[in-house]
Amino acid sequence: MEFRWHRKDLLSLYDLSREEIEYILDTAEEFKKVSERNVKKVPALRGKTVVNFFVEPSTRTRISFELAEQRLSADIINVAVDASSLKKGETLLDTVRNIEARQVDLLVMRHRATGAQNFIAQNVRCGVINAGDGAHSHPTQALLDIFTIRQRKGRVAGLNVTIVGDILHSRVARSNIWGLLKLGARVTLAGPATLVPREFEKIGVRVCHNLRDALRAADVVNLLRIQHERQTAGFFPSVNEYARFFGLNQETFQYLRPDALVMHPGPINRDVELDSAVADGPNSVILEQVTNGLAVRMAVLFLVAGCGNK
Amino acid sequence: MNSSNFILKGGRVIDPARGIDRVMDIGVADGIITAPEAVGNPEIIDVSGLVVTPGLIDLHVHLRQPGNTAAETIATGTMAAAAGGFTAIVAMPNTTPAADTPGAIEYLRQTAARQGVVRVLPCGCLTRNRAGKEMAGIGGLHSAGVVALSDDGGCIQDHALMRHVAEYAHSFGLPILDHCEDAFLAANGVMHEGEWSVLLGMNGIASASEELMVARDIILSRLTGARIHVQHVSARESVELIRQARRQGLPVTGEATPHHIALTDECIKTYDTNYKMNPPLRSEADRQALIAGLADGTITVIATDHAPHTATAKLVEFDDAPFGIIGLETALPITLTLLVHSGILSLPDLIAKFTTGPAEVLGLDHCDLAEGHPADITVFDPDCAYEIDPSTFHSKARNTPFGGMKVRGRVRRTIVGGRTVYRYPEQAS
Amino acid sequence: MTEQKQLFDAAAIAAAIARMADAIAAEFHPDSGNGEFALIGIYKQGVPLAERLLEAVAERNGGCRPELAKLDISMYRDDVGLRSGLPLIRETVIPFNMENKRVILVDDVLSSGRSIRAALDAVTDYGRPALIRLAVLVDRGMPEYPIRADYVGLRVDVPADRKIRVDFKENDGIDAIREVSWQRDAVPQNTD
Repeated sequence: MEFRWHRKDLLSLYDLSREEIEYILDTAEEFKKVSERNVKKVPALRGKTVVNFFVEPSTRTRISFELAEQRLSADIINVAVDASSLKKGETLLDTVRNIEARQVDLLVMRHRATGAQNFIAQNVRCGVINAGDGAHSHPTQALLDIFTIRQRKGRVAGLNVTIVGDILHSRVARSNIWGLLKLGARVTLAGPATLVPREFEKIGVRVCHNLRDALRAADVVNLLRIQHERQTAGFFPSVNEYARFFGLNQETFQYLRPDALVMHPGPINRDVELDSAVADGPNSVILEQVTNGLAVRMAVLFLVAGCGNK
Repeated sequence: MNSSNFILKGGRVIDPARGIDRVMDIGVADGIITAPEAVGNPEIIDVSGLVVTPGLIDLHVHLRQPGNTAAETIATGTMAAAAGGFTAIVAMPNTTPAADTPGAIEYLRQTAARQGVVRVLPCGCLTRNRAGKEMAGIGGLHSAGVVALSDDGGCIQDHALMRHVAEYAHSFGLPILDHCEDAFLAANGVMHEGEWSVLLGMNGIASASEELMVARDIILSRLTGARIHVQHVSARESVELIRQARRQGLPVTGEATPHHIALTDECIKTYDTNYKMNPPLRSEADRQALIAGLADGTITVIATDHAPHTATAKLVEFDDAPFGIIGLETALPITLTLLVHSGILSLPDLIAKFTTGPAEVLGLDHCDLAEGHPADITVFDPDCAYEIDPSTFHSKARNTPFGGMKVRGRVRRTIVGGRTVYRYPEQAS
Repeated sequence: MTEQKQLFDAAAIAAAIARMADAIAAEFHPDSGNGEFALIGIYKQGVPLAERLLEAVAERNGGCRPELAKLDISMYRDDVGLRSGLPLIRETVIPFNMENKRVILVDDVLSSGRSIRAALDAVTDYGRPALIRLAVLVDRGMPEYPIRADYVGLRVDVPADRKIRVDFKENDGIDAIREVSWQRDAVPQNTD
């Protein structure tokens, strides 16, 4: 029996099987071609209403989703945090139900609290796509990262992928870890012990507190943005020191394989976690990630909407 | 139903204080336990096949009145206690306003006398408004009738202040019930720091935050001679610290909650806010250590930390939900199922955790079924199997993760001062 | 309840394809000035059909081969959200410029006409063809849209609650046309 997509929500890659992840990636291949045509639009979501509900500031992800929705011919409503009634003391669930009552088909949602989208999805009929929740999950970012790896390397299984930075607070890292493990990659996490907890070893990833060791034999290195507020919170002494010991610069770049991919979910702190010369160098696929993000989000929107809200 | 003279006939009487475990009759006359043959004109109540014990005591209950009567009231909370087999409960002082003055204690005593169903034992604050800054009027609270002191929900971070509070409370003979938590290590945490917090990306509460304060309290108990009772022990190392302290003869005790005995942090992967409590559900190793501590006598008390919240308060993002679950009406069946029916504790040992254990912490005498003592008695069926159904609860709140759990053990009758305040099956009166 | 009835066997299918190829080859004969054209197979069963037609036309027209495209219409369907499970989008391959091209859409069954409407939208998003024709192996004669086929292999008349299923060796290991009952929860790629 041919595999078919059955989910009305996309909340976390932890929930998905290898087959489902590959299915999204395969679907994205076709949507990537749509954006390469003269007519960059298909009527797949014509007559569907999608709400982009961002209860946490975001520019990149929201723009990417919005463009994806436009290219699928959906009707779009953007609800930004300031405009929402959350500030008037309404509960999140009431706000969402209020939005849903307008016959919305899909909710693309970002929220600062881990699991907020799971909580909402359990309580509404419309489909829910997680555009990032707390430090938990950001499935479309991980899918676009993995899509980029797969396009460039032709496979994911067996590759050594190193993720460097603030793993503890990163939803991008967690989603990548689940996705990569399910597709058979070997994952190494690198950074200071304050930001890279050993507990990750329990799920079969390697934890490394020395950047050079983490970069050796890596086919892909994914650098995470370092947040300055972590310094204030005492996770590391200074941004300078972080850059010196855990930033990818021209010296540490030498430890990578010559054909290694350099990735970053953006926005980059240039010369902190990633040296400008490396970010703009031939190994960098950072802009490709952005392009692929559009295709992956079109695929996810298409699949989730396609399953309908019955 | 409230006949003042009766005989409980044919039950298995378990009275840990007196080392009794045998089938015998218990007589009650005018609210006092009386030799059956001396009870005049008794109603005969057949309790054969059931267990008869001294009334259970819960050291840790939040009644929410005054301040949050939408979640619970003294009337509903004490009715829930009765339905759970408890004849006496210690009311935590973190109401709004906090119970840090004799007036607040007086309000609780008067309201409980009018509206309460079981005995409500007041607990006063350690510090004014539980702020951890200035000592509360402990002497005045003692005169007003508190049985213990606690800043529950908070923990005095200033060790010098804690030392003085311990010394001062000790001079009035009051035990301290301490919520052991280092506020810096626990800051912003919503669940146990461990494998699951790391996988879910939630802010963790390290076991170390509890262990440090347990160690501190033990050291201060040694220094001051104060009786310190560690509330809701959750971490493996805390159990070991208490074990060592008790071996050294220090007046340190600890309690375990049914939910820490039953559940682990893995439950949180469902994002159900009924798994959010403080201290948090910890790892399986912690849970096992807690059970081992109960089995070897390190932990002498089971207390519920009954913490009612409205459905609205809990129906939010996990990060934003309040800590705590209700427990009065599930404590006995859950611990019977997980500790006794599984063979970890004998039935008398479990009953001791609900009777002599808490009585010892509070320094109460006559927590037994001896003649001449007030007739506070619990009767339960240790084997009755059923599924927990929160819709039948007497508590105003429903925030429990135990709905649907299969348990064995059901309270059949709760008697306070000779008066039956709850019986099952319930009858319209 | 998958009660089914075979309507045509491999030989009948081969004969039908031959008839369609005759008509197409005649119209697009190299000497007619209409020689350049393309077949566009609509996934799933339109693709093997287009491939067979291509060979048959080339044979008739002295080895002169039309071009071949493969089209997936999933993104153009009008029933998104009405299906319970989504099949994978197959790779659309159009190895030529659609602008001013003469093309023949190829599908296995013409039923409601909805798939063809979707295919027309898809094709025109790639450019403005000079001519679009439609070739189907089976026409069941119940179009809900004003769409008619130009080349028809077989015409059948079955009740509306029955479905025509075409199997091709390339995909299914056998050549057969069957009448089956609708299974609402397993709506395949091409339902018409």
